[in-house]
Amino acid sequence: MSKNKLLPIWAAISAVLIIAGIVLMALLGFNTALDQPEHKAFDVYYNVVVDLNEESKASLEAHCEDAFSSAGISYSDRVTLDGQSDPVSLTGTSFSETGNDFLLRYTFSADTEDSALAAAKTALESAIAADGAFATPAETYVSYATVTQQPMNEAIWRGAVGIAVAVVVALVYVAIRFGAGSALTGLVACVNDAFLVLAILAIARIPVYAFAPMLYAAIAAMVSLTFWLIRCIRLRENAKDPAGSVLSAEEAVGNACAATNKTVLLTALIAAILLIVCAACTFTTGAMPVFAEALLCAIVPLYSAMLLAPALHCKVKAAFDAAKAKRTRYTGKKKSAKAESEN
Amino acid sequence: MSKSKSVILLIVYTLVIAVLCFICTVSFSYGPDNMQTFSSVMRMMEKDADLGLAYGANADAGAYIGGGYSAVYYPEGVISAKEYEDNIRDMSEEDAAEYAAEYVRYPDENGAIYLEVGTACDENGAVDAAFAASFEAAAETVTERYAGLRVDGARVDIANDYTVRVFLPAMMDSEYYAINHFSYLGELSIRTGSSEEDATDVFGIRSNESIADYVSSVTSGTTGGTSFVEFHFTQDGQEAMSSATSGAAETAVTLYFFVGDTAIMSLSVSEQMTGSSIYVTGSYTAETAAVTASLLDSSIGAAEDTLSFTVGDAYFHEALYGGETVIMLYIAFGVLFVAMMVFFFIRYRRLGFVHLYTFLLFTCAMILCGWAIDFVYLSVETFLAFLLACVLLCASNIVTFEAARKEYALGKTMASSVKTGYKKSFWKLFDLHIVLAIAAFLVSAIAIGSLQVAAFVLGLAIVFSGVGSLVVNRFGWAVMMGTTKRQGAFCNFKREEVEDE
Repeated sequence: MSKNKLLPIWAAISAVLIIAGIVLMALLGFNTALDQPEHKAFDVYYNVVVDLNEESKASLEAHCEDAFSSAGISYSDRVTLDGQSDPVSLTGTSFSETGNDFLLRYTFSADTEDSALAAAKTALESAIAADGAFATPAETYVSYATVTQQPMNEAIWRGAVGIAVAVVVALVYVAIRFGAGSALTGLVACVNDAFLVLAILAIARIPVYAFAPMLYAAIAAMVSLTFWLIRCIRLRENAKDPAGSVLSAEEAVGNACAATNKTVLLTALIAAILLIVCAACTFTTGAMPVFAEALLCAIVPLYSAMLLAPALHCKVKAAFDAAKAKRTRYTGKKKSAKAESEN
Repeated sequence: MSKSKSVILLIVYTLVIAVLCFICTVSFSYGPDNMQTFSSVMRMMEKDADLGLAYGANADAGAYIGGGYSAVYYPEGVISAKEYEDNIRDMSEEDAAEYAAEYVRYPDENGAIYLEVGTACDENGAVDAAFAASFEAAAETVTERYAGLRVDGARVDIANDYTVRVFLPAMMDSEYYAINHFSYLGELSIRTGSSEEDATDVFGIRSNESIADYVSSVTSGTTGGTSFVEFHFTQDGQEAMSSATSGAAETAVTLYFFVGDTAIMSLSVSEQMTGSSIYVTGSYTAETAAVTASLLDSSIGAAEDTLSFTVGDAYFHEALYGGETVIMLYIAFGVLFVAMMVFFFIRYRRLGFVHLYTFLLFTCAMILCGWAIDFVYLSVETFLAFLLACVLLCASNIVTFEAARKEYALGKTMASSVKTGYKKSFWKLFDLHIVLAIAAFLVSAIAIGSLQVAAFVLGLAIVFSGVGSLVVNRFGWAVMMGTTKRQGAFCNFKREEVEDE
């Protein structure tokens, strides 16, 4: 089956995914679980007159672990926080460690039952009271709180506007250098890829950092632009060739794609390997998801560059070529044909 | 190019790259007892607070970059359970009972806060509607202020419905200043008098007016290294300021700038103010001026009878991604660098050195820019952008090498092959680089936060990649090629074999 006959299939796949993604983005947003936008924090303060020694800290942590397991709950994150001077003075300049303020903060998912947290709190308080190492004057306070992040949306909408403007301006350059048809296909490919990446993140509910979706959309658009430029450069080169200039739109696109498929595939492969290596190296850190999810930015533009954009450009190029032919009143013989006939 | 000239140029080129690599990446201690430290550019480069790293000569003693500071804003009528326990512990039974009657634990008997009866709730613990509404407005104001800072990683949370938990990354210079100043709520007022306590309002705002009728906005800026806060007045405000400072030439007038009941700054005026704006300088940095302007600007439309916040529970948080992330990023770069060079040396033999030199120069240029440009810092996002540009540079060099290989295979001389190869690939690479650089810089110009910095780094790296592959690489090739007579073998290029008929 020829490339452009498959266009409705690729267009339908993209449209369905993008529409579903937009609906989900509007209704639920992205799954920003990595930023813990809503969670319950279980705080264990150890209010000491002197520094809490490492043994006591470890013992406190062990009591917490026991309390959580007895309450049947498990936390997603644990941090040890050092107390700082409270910023209460207009003339103060910087934070400084208070030295004897120790806080263990456990993070639970937002759907953890308050009753289970209360049971853990009771169990922990009993365990601490029974432990001679935590005698007065040191006091331990246990509390839990529901925490909800306040949205800061400026970065998201400005990022989206930035990507849109950048893609349009870049494609104006493409229109000047390679023709309006190429710019139109490139625009569709870029928009498709940026939205498709966002849609996949929204549909699959992949946990992301709040800043990440716009970053991925921007990278996808840039990669898409790169792949499409590779195709355009070859299309123009082929068009300069007298033999290539007489080909139909479908043949011209097919030839250009055949000649550049290896480059596009290799570039995508290199980008994917690069991201996989980065994800593997940062596996133990919080940066790993950023690299792993960025793989979408190589895969989605590859789909678009290999399938959607060539199929679409067959139609677009044919339409533009026909319009051009209509506009031209007298075509005459091509230079190459003229030269041949003269010889 | 003669061989001797090539050798000299190659030595100079190698030395330049070696020095750059050394400056950019090697840190060491020296002097008596290793008291002096030479810090590499890479070490001095600003790093995202999400990437933690034990830092510098004092790393063993706990010197650490990354992470940030959090604090909790308690509105009037709300205290933490810890403070409640601290207060009640040493009271007599009678006082304790009286104190206990004044507070209700929220949201239940295990909650982390206490609400004051009469201010925030009734005796049964039902939250006062007016208090809840005031808190909501105050939280919104605080969120807008933090969002307005446009600091990557700044965060505002509502904890237990009636406290605000704020976080600022440690890569800011003035987290303390911002967390403190952003806790002030209330309407902006400009007063004059002999002291803060006696100062009276300059504008004499009537009941049907607000400060917005006199002050249109407050902004900040930096000129010639001096940062300032700028007040913009309306026509009425300009007239009022002119009238209030009419006698300043004879007797200096002091202006006090209040947010609610807190004097944020004062200004001694020795001449009449007639302009539509005034600049207040002092010991501001660009950051503190921006924080002060944001605070004052957001207080223009604030309600007069708003809540007041008390700041407490300040803590230091370690980096979000963990302490080893920077090292892991370096390792990832090292692995990719080795893989890249293995490919180039296998495919192009000693021509791989040409790419190596170009790549090292490109990397050093990026590191130097990352250090020298104020708003650029190392983060996962900028690292990703840099890697994408590295792919572009490698691909561009491969394109030119392959173009020359094809020409050489046809029987041309090496010099001619390189020249024709570059000629054929110049516009391809130019188009690719220019389009991507335009797109990246445009995203950078419009976006904010981490995307802005990442896009800028991408744009810059693409420009360097273009210069690297089209100029530096060609220069390196010419220099290195002049040192050998077997140029085909040097590049692993082969002639096309033609069968004799």
